Amino acid sequence: MLRQFFASRFWALVRKEVNQIVRNKQLLIMLIVPPTLQLLIYGFALNPDVHHLKLGVVDYAQTADSRELVAALTENRIFDVEMVTFDESVLARQVETGKLTVGMVIPPKFSRDLAGDRPSPIQFFIDGVDANTAGIASGYIRQIVQQFNQQYLSPNMRVPISTQVIFLYNQGLTSSWFFVPGVMGLVLTLIGSIVSSITVIREKDTGTLEQLLMTPSEAWEISLSKVVPLFVLLMGDVLLALTIGRLIFNVPFRGNFLLFMVLSGLYVFVGIGVGIMLATLCQSQQQVVLTTFFINLPMVQLSGAIAPIETMPKFFQYLSIVNPLRHYIAIVRGILLKGVGLEALWLHVLALAVFAIGLLAISTNRFRNQLN
Amino acid sequence: MVRNASPTAIALQAQDAARVPLIQVRDLRKNYGALAALQGISFEVYPGEVFGLIGPDGAGKTTTFHILGGVMEASSGMVDVLGQKPRNARLNIGYLTQQFSLYLDLSIDENLRYVAGLRRVNEADLQQRREKYLALMGLEQIGGRLAGQLSGGMKQKLALCCALMPQPQILLLDEPTTGVDPVSRREFWDVLATLASEGMTIVVATPYLDEAERCHRIALMYDGQINEVGTLKQLRLNLGLQRLEVRTEDIPATEQVLMPLVEKQTADLVDVQMFGDRLDVLVKDPTQAEPEVRRAIAEQGIVCQSIQQSEVTLENVFVTRLRQQGSDPPFIPLPRRVRTDSQVMRSNGDVRSAPVAIQARQLRKTFGTFQAVKGVDLEIRYGEIYGLLGANGAGKTTTIKMLCGLLPASGGEIALAGQTKNLRSRELRKRIGYMSQKFTLYDDLSVVENLKFYCGVYEVPTGYRQQKIDWVLEICGLQGQENMLTGRLPGGWKQRVAFGASVMHEPEILFLDEPTSGVDPLARRQFWRLINNLAQQGTAVLVTTHYLEEAEQCNRMGFMVAGEVVIQGSPSQIKAAQPGQLIELRVDQTQRASSLLKTQLESWRVSIFGDRLHVVLDQPERELPKLQSVLAAAEIQLLAQRVVPFSLEDAFISVVQRTEMGTKHRVD
Repeated sequence: MLRQFFASRFWALVRKEVNQIVRNKQLLIMLIVPPTLQLLIYGFALNPDVHHLKLGVVDYAQTADSRELVAALTENRIFDVEMVTFDESVLARQVETGKLTVGMVIPPKFSRDLAGDRPSPIQFFIDGVDANTAGIASGYIRQIVQQFNQQYLSPNMRVPISTQVIFLYNQGLTSSWFFVPGVMGLVLTLIGSIVSSITVIREKDTGTLEQLLMTPSEAWEISLSKVVPLFVLLMGDVLLALTIGRLIFNVPFRGNFLLFMVLSGLYVFVGIGVGIMLATLCQSQQQVVLTTFFINLPMVQLSGAIAPIETMPKFFQYLSIVNPLRHYIAIVRGILLKGVGLEALWLHVLALAVFAIGLLAISTNRFRNQLN
Repeated sequence: MVRNASPTAIALQAQDAARVPLIQVRDLRKNYGALAALQGISFEVYPGEVFGLIGPDGAGKTTTFHILGGVMEASSGMVDVLGQKPRNARLNIGYLTQQFSLYLDLSIDENLRYVAGLRRVNEADLQQRREKYLALMGLEQIGGRLAGQLSGGMKQKLALCCALMPQPQILLLDEPTTGVDPVSRREFWDVLATLASEGMTIVVATPYLDEAERCHRIALMYDGQINEVGTLKQLRLNLGLQRLEVRTEDIPATEQVLMPLVEKQTADLVDVQMFGDRLDVLVKDPTQAEPEVRRAIAEQGIVCQSIQQSEVTLENVFVTRLRQQGSDPPFIPLPRRVRTDSQVMRSNGDVRSAPVAIQARQLRKTFGTFQAVKGVDLEIRYGEIYGLLGANGAGKTTTIKMLCGLLPASGGEIALAGQTKNLRSRELRKRIGYMSQKFTLYDDLSVVENLKFYCGVYEVPTGYRQQKIDWVLEICGLQGQENMLTGRLPGGWKQRVAFGASVMHEPEILFLDEPTSGVDPLARRQFWRLINNLAQQGTAVLVTTHYLEEAEQCNRMGFMVAGEVVIQGSPSQIKAAQPGQLIELRVDQTQRASSLLKTQLESWRVSIFGDRLHVVLDQPERELPKLQSVLAAAEIQLLAQRVVPFSLEDAFISVVQRTEMGTKHRVD
């Protein structure tokens, strides 16, 4: 039985593909380097938390109260005091030139106002160029000042309603835990579609496809022999991404490993399906690579890999339902972070299965029609 | 050259010394890893000279061109082009590589304009040169046509035009006529001759040795070394042999009779070489040898038609030198599985009674409005070799692709191995072998991986695979090098491996589309012995080739012109159907005489064969004296003239050109 398999046409085709892939250093590099770099870059660089904002202080009061206020701001490492000056215009210029994010002016009568139970106005300049950061900074300032007020007024008074928020799954709210699963999906989509489209189109490019068609090989054998080695290699990429996520970003793995691999396999088929389909639409390697980027970018943007789907306009939120990457990312986050199984993910799994089967069927069929 | 220098050679050298060479090469070496591609070659090329580089596949010709063209650095040695390093002289070099270096989706004019822009040719010069060169190539009427729609010969002419755009001083042409049909080939060389007469210096490599005879000087390369350099005359003198052209009823049998005489070395015979319908017997003394040959042939009861004494051709020189080097590739028949089915015809059977393997009736193909194939009828039986011959773009490849099911026909009927329906079925494909025009091996796999792959997809039984692979390696002379990447093999060797790969599964029907394109003369002879052997075992072979002399080995053939088979029959039928008589002229200025005679006669009647002219005349007694006086008036000396039988190449040239002028002939 096994002997028969190794003497078969299909095995000859698979071996040929494997030999070609092993010879193709570029392809192997492409399978290892870009996924690693992308994971590292996105994991480290994509961090919406705001820390260490540069704060400039003009403290005309110079009292214990005013120093306490500054301390309250810098306590959580949200603000770092970059400069202390007595010249408001210098402060303003520093904010203007972007050397400071926030400038704070404490008036001379600060302590006197507080002692006299009058509200004391404090002035903040915030660099609004980066709207996101500015918004977050002003939010923090409001919160900190409010807390300062409460504590100052009645250190021992009970607050009528207190919130006790508990963050589930990601207690430390480490943002890389959110990004790494998204980037894993992104990497698989990108690499899977490019690599598979290239291996298919190369045969067309060099004219060997015609010779292949004159051999007794069936079209399904030719297509499948291209899919199988790619599948194995891309599953290697899944493991690579998982390892980087575990070791470097300490992303937890709370779910079932087998389930994760099976569903990742399903998604790898989606990537290969996209790649083969593009290869049947294009005439040359150059064309196919460019087209792959054109397809991949919107797919990634609409997947929730980087920006949460909830922040998108309604139309795009609906559109993202037909994006297989969205479902895969939901699955990865579910298994890795929540440790849930099929009972919670079945809708995503179903969607993914439909996409995988559909894309692979359409693309191999198109490829076969080209062959015939 | 020094090794074989004769007095005349030395005299000519002295003459050369008076001129300053444009290209000087001294002890040039090039290594690719452990492989020494060039092992110290030296030569020089003088202004206005056409310098030919000939040698077997893998001799180092392309490497030499790469270095001369400044696209590759030598490992050691001196190269001087126009007094500088090739890289710096690039602007003055026009370089035509083996592949067409054109933009196929641009028109002829756009291609020229692009090159002109790249080389900063100003508008006025562009227009003037465009007109001049397109007219010279005969392309002036179709400037708007896309390069991709041109035939192979036209593409090469356009590529030459592009190379000429910046008016280089030197042209480097690496096998420009490989895959180009005999008519277009001659036109291309007429252009080269015109350019050379205007002072262009040309270095050219070609696998067609009749073309190489038109070079001023020729270098014979072998294994990274130049063994001999000289004019055709010098090379002949160096060989020191004469040639007997022997024509008999049965050429292969005659070869069998004469070969032992060569091996015994007692007789005067040095070598016997088969050229289609004749044997060239190389002898030291023709007057002594001729009776010997006649006697030997008569003893075997073979009817001798004619024996003519003549000077050796360049191909004679080349083949003899290669055989002296011991580089004759071996002939080993394909090792076969024991067949149980008796459907396939065996040798010695009459081909005419064998079943039909390939049949086509009124086969048509149209691409848009273009009729590529117009009603072709074919019938090829098992054990038969059928040659489909024709100019580039005549529709041969399209016909083959339809017959083997790669391209749907627009009309007509096809029967393949008795099947009329489902030509793409797996069972049918197992019985078919196909070698397409393009190299069809995977360049990024090693030779042995390629062979294993084809064994696997054709499901050669595992027990036989190693034997088959060894066979291919042996006929290609690649034992011990089987792990080399296929992409690194020279073109001619790739062809040999591809041929081996396409017959390992012992096909019953074999399609070969220009299998010998770019393959050296000795390897081509080996190819044809293998093809003959396959046919004897019952394989039906459909083959296309631009080497007409090897096409003599086909049982039957058809000439295709513009999508139609215009004449069909056995080689002798086709030759017999030619009108008029063929006269071979030897003159002192072949090129000039050819141009002159073409003004006197219809152009298809005059063609250059090496250093000779072939002229077709209807009434030689009346016309010949007139031509003689025309030549005399132009001060062209007529050295010899004789009546020769039509070769297939003569027939091809006249059929193709006459058909293109509107006449049609049919045999059968």
